[in-house]
Amino acid sequence: MSTLILAEHEAGELRPATLSVVAAAAAIGNDIAMLVAGSNCAGVGEKAAALPGVSKVLVADDAAYEHELAENLSALVVSVAGDYTHILFAATAAGKNVMPRVAALLDVSGISDITEVKSADTFIRPIYAGNAMATVKSDDAKKIITVRTTAFDAVSDTGGSAAVESVASAGANDGVEFVGAELSSSDRPELTSAGIVVSGGRGMQNGENFAMLDEIALKLNAAVGASRAAVDAGFVPNEYQVGQTGKVVAPDLYIAVGISGAIQHLAGMKDSKVIVAINKDEEAPIFQVADYGLVADLFDAVPELSKALDA
Amino acid sequence: MSYQAPVRDISFVLNHVVGLADIAKLDGYEDATPEMVEAILDASAQFTGEVLAPLNWVGDQQGSQWSEAGVTTPDGWQEAYQQFIENGWGSLAFSVEYGGQGLPMCVAASVQEMWHSANMSFGLCPLLSQGAVDAIEHHASDELKAMFLPKMVEGVWSGTMNLTEPQAGSDLAAVRTSAEPEGDHFRIKGQKIFITYGDHDLTENIIHLVLARLPDAPEGVKGISLFIVPKFLINEDGSLGERNDVRCVSLEHKMGIHASPTCVMAYGDDAGALGYLVGKPHHGLIYMFTMMNQARHAVGVEGYGIAERAYQQALSFAKDRKQGKTLLGKSDDDHGIVNHPDVRRILMTMRCNIEAMRGLALECAAAFDIAGKHPDENVRVFNQRRGELLTPLVKGWSTEIGLELCSLGVQVHGGMGFIEETGAAQHLRDARIAPIYEGTTAIQANDLIGRKTARDNGQGMQELLTDMRATLTELQQSNNPDMQAVAKRFESAVGAADQSLQWMLGQNDPTLPSASSVEYLMMLGRLSGGWMSARTALVALKMKNEDGADHDYLDARVALARYYADRFLPLVDASNITITEGSESTVSLSVAQL
Amino acid sequence: MKILVGVKRVLDYNVKARVKADKSGIELANVKMAMNPFDEIAVEEALRIKEAGNAEEVIAVSIGPAKSEETIRTALAMGADRGILIQTDELLEPLAVAKLLKHIVEKEQPGLVVLGKQAIDDDCNQTGQMLSALTGMPQATFASKVELDGDSIKVTREVDSGLESIRVKSPAVITADLRLNEPRYAKLPNIMKAKKKPLEVIEVADTGVDVSSGLSVVEVNEPEQRQAGVIVGSVAELVDKLRNEAKVI
Ligand SMILES: Cc1cc2nc3c(=O)[nH]c(=O)nc-3n(C[C@H](O)[C@H](O)[C@H](O)COP(=O)(O)OP(=O)(O)OC[C@H]3O[C@@H](n4cnc5c(N)ncnc54)[C@H](O)[C@@H]3O)c2cc1C
Repeated sequence: MSTLILAEHEAGELRPATLSVVAAAAAIGNDIAMLVAGSNCAGVGEKAAALPGVSKVLVADDAAYEHELAENLSALVVSVAGDYTHILFAATAAGKNVMPRVAALLDVSGISDITEVKSADTFIRPIYAGNAMATVKSDDAKKIITVRTTAFDAVSDTGGSAAVESVASAGANDGVEFVGAELSSSDRPELTSAGIVVSGGRGMQNGENFAMLDEIALKLNAAVGASRAAVDAGFVPNEYQVGQTGKVVAPDLYIAVGISGAIQHLAGMKDSKVIVAINKDEEAPIFQVADYGLVADLFDAVPELSKALDA
Repeated sequence: MSYQAPVRDISFVLNHVVGLADIAKLDGYEDATPEMVEAILDASAQFTGEVLAPLNWVGDQQGSQWSEAGVTTPDGWQEAYQQFIENGWGSLAFSVEYGGQGLPMCVAASVQEMWHSANMSFGLCPLLSQGAVDAIEHHASDELKAMFLPKMVEGVWSGTMNLTEPQAGSDLAAVRTSAEPEGDHFRIKGQKIFITYGDHDLTENIIHLVLARLPDAPEGVKGISLFIVPKFLINEDGSLGERNDVRCVSLEHKMGIHASPTCVMAYGDDAGALGYLVGKPHHGLIYMFTMMNQARHAVGVEGYGIAERAYQQALSFAKDRKQGKTLLGKSDDDHGIVNHPDVRRILMTMRCNIEAMRGLALECAAAFDIAGKHPDENVRVFNQRRGELLTPLVKGWSTEIGLELCSLGVQVHGGMGFIEETGAAQHLRDARIAPIYEGTTAIQANDLIGRKTARDNGQGMQELLTDMRATLTELQQSNNPDMQAVAKRFESAVGAADQSLQWMLGQNDPTLPSASSVEYLMMLGRLSGGWMSARTALVALKMKNEDGADHDYLDARVALARYYADRFLPLVDASNITITEGSESTVSLSVAQL
Repeated sequence: MKILVGVKRVLDYNVKARVKADKSGIELANVKMAMNPFDEIAVEEALRIKEAGNAEEVIAVSIGPAKSEETIRTALAMGADRGILIQTDELLEPLAVAKLLKHIVEKEQPGLVVLGKQAIDDDCNQTGQMLSALTGMPQATFASKVELDGDSIKVTREVDSGLESIRVKSPAVITADLRLNEPRYAKLPNIMKAKKKPLEVIEVADTGVDVSSGLSVVEVNEPEQRQAGVIVGSVAELVDKLRNEAKVI
């Protein structure tokens, strides 16, 4: 039995999500191989080889893989799938985009978003926005899985020494073409891997007011997130969204400011270790999951909090 | 303060109690199948819950505003109205000929309940338009129909009803507004007060239906004619022309329904407002009466619609608010006030009365649907009489009880109920108008004892009591102990109502019946509500034998009928005593002694 | 061109899911069901494309129990032209659904398939990608903007670090994300017309598609409940607790 992981990387570095997938693979208990696909990605291959537990690294270096196009990546994964019993992806936008294709091409079911490994063929995954946890068992020869990265502690990025080999490109699909990206460039930690997240909701009233949260985030080295309501209202861009259909986060500290706490939002943050809620409506459901609740007008409380953090 | 339409409760009554499937078999109502109606109710629930309900509070706080240029509605109302008409909600019950959907009145009433629950002030605009459309459709010339109906049915023009004048409220015989003939039209002059949506910014034109007198008119009720007076005149090609000589000179400051503009209207400050005669001269009040049933029914629906909203709010508060150790709570930490037996009493009272009122209103609407379309003349006549008999009950009883329930809704909230921000008080303030406009409860009661009881010498009433006795037999034959208990109360109540009816018919002097008329109306309302709730329970018991039956829901219908019978049917017996023995004392003091 | 949209009947998103006492799944008897919200967005997008003159017909497909007909009627009331129900009482995995959709694609030859990015019941987020892989049509998932230019379609996608855009060739599969559009309310006249629109019902068995699955649900449990914490009286107290009690800052 052996596991293949599709690595995610960016600017020459492995994404933190991939380190969590390695942890999930370790929980399954097989030999672990990692596939690094990209353009000029030899350096990433080296870094993958240093991950503890990884025994083999496959590098596919081709322009076809520059933009994580799902058609090209899935063809590549299938071409190297061979005898692997498990193929793992991170449950990121990129991973979710590729995994189902691989499953379909191999004619097996996909298993989305696992949060726990019960055994090599049995996993737990949330359904209904995390209002229920399903235990699922796969009898397929290959288990094709995305891993909810917040549910597995990332492995360290040193200590391993895997063999690196290169594999042939599976070519490019000409039905799809990358056009461009508007990526947010932020020097703040990435939302899904940050230790602290400060999130704003509809109560923020507008986008400018998010500057108050940025200020606190800077002091706490935190990432800034938002509820769907705030994103829909155009206060902040989509990549801020935390929730059932946005990002799932589980930081050590989650500070929810002016967020009422719809179940769809709770689905994305309720596994945070400590939750703080600041809301002036004491009936807001967010208080039911908060460890510390402050019933206050956020426009008073947030500046005060910012000041208190200086002390 | 959200609102979620009780689609399930409404469908239950439509499908299982008033027989929607049979109505859908009538020529012209083929579309109103249970599945179709379900889809309509779902869509209406979504629209009212997401679009209309959120504007209710703003409406109350901002109110509509008057300025020289015209009346403006609160923030967000124009957009909501636009969506309302684009989605076709305004044209629900209008005839297909003019672009309506031609749905039965029982379906239209079900949807309209949601408007009033979600936002009563908003619901009044289409409610009044409907009255105006009905008047034009039934009584105006083809030419006038072609000129006004398509736009009104679509909702791009709204309609109003201009009856009231300072000296003419309940007594419309006192109307003084005048109409002078001028070519093919008339010039209207006078003042109307309390005109709902007399001016506003939701539509590009407003079509006023105005009661006025011609120069040669006889005194009193037989001298009143009905006119159409558009805010903007209509050009030959159908486009909007000149501004007519009618304007809103001020808005009333009111206890409730703040967003619904209640206008003082001035007709003919200059040359006189140009108006078109509807039908024949001097027939205005007769025309009004033919459409009165519809409008009064609609206000009755408003009565329980607003109570439903108050109930939803009270229930949600009662589940959240913790106070003291409760007797019905399951665990030590469950202190929600909903677990105090007295709070249960209030919520039960609200719930069982709302369901009873809804049942009666839909029964009444279904009677009119059958009366309009059934192939058998006898069935039509019977149902017309039934619908007309039930109408004053739907209007009078449901608005009075709806008001009481809104007050109970405040009570559940304790002190918070008295605080405006909670929103419970708004429902109570809004509900207060329903027993007043479209004929006060006393006027409904006069209609009930006069036209609906004395005039046919009790025939309609006897038919109703006969139907109730058939239900009684069913209750008695049920081996369910709750139904047995309901049967006992219902038997006594039906007997009491029959006694009061005989008493009414036996009086020669109208003074004593008038003194007890509202008591009689409330008595028959309560009894009919009990009848509907018993029928609902009987159906629910039968349905329990079906595969996959939702016992929880069905048992609740039985429990509600039982509570209604225990708590409200005895009041029917009490009313009988008041009517047959207390009418004299009602008027026994002289004015000086009062 | 034709557009095929998938519409799934799911527990209404306002209703809190409750696990059945026997742990076999979620209680679905007598609770309000509705169209998967992402599918509403998909239907809306298909309709907008049609209204812009870029498509002739919108076909709504649902795969599920007989009651899914209501969901299709909702799509028809929004403006879709006809419906296809592939009826089954079994809970199907995304792979089976994708295979059934492929069956319809082969029959109807749509220029575009628009699906929701995920269903809010199983939260799988797989079907669109699988359909793309099985049919060879390119995929544009998590779409927040769709621009047609002949048979080339530019799709803006919501990805973890922002937005990216790709160009795919028709026929293609698009999956809708939240901000693609705001679905319309069904208009009353259209609700009534929807009843008269054609709706074809096919049994799964008649499609010849193998819908067996290697994946089975062993049991379904309630998630661990978080205990509500304390209400603090001031910002100072909050900071103190975070520093000295929780030790997270
Ligand atoms: C918010 C609002 C909106 C309205 N909208 C409209 C509208 O759009 N168009 C319109 O034309 N009018 C409208 N009205 C007027 C409304 O219909 C009248 O106010 C109502 O019919 C009562 O008339 P009144 O106010 O003159 O009261 P009155 O007739 O003076 O009644 C006073 C009291 O005397 C009682 N009474 C009077 N006559 C009798 C009787 N014969 N037997 C027993 N009791 C009697 C009444 O029940 C009442 O208790 C509106 C009123 C309000 C407040």
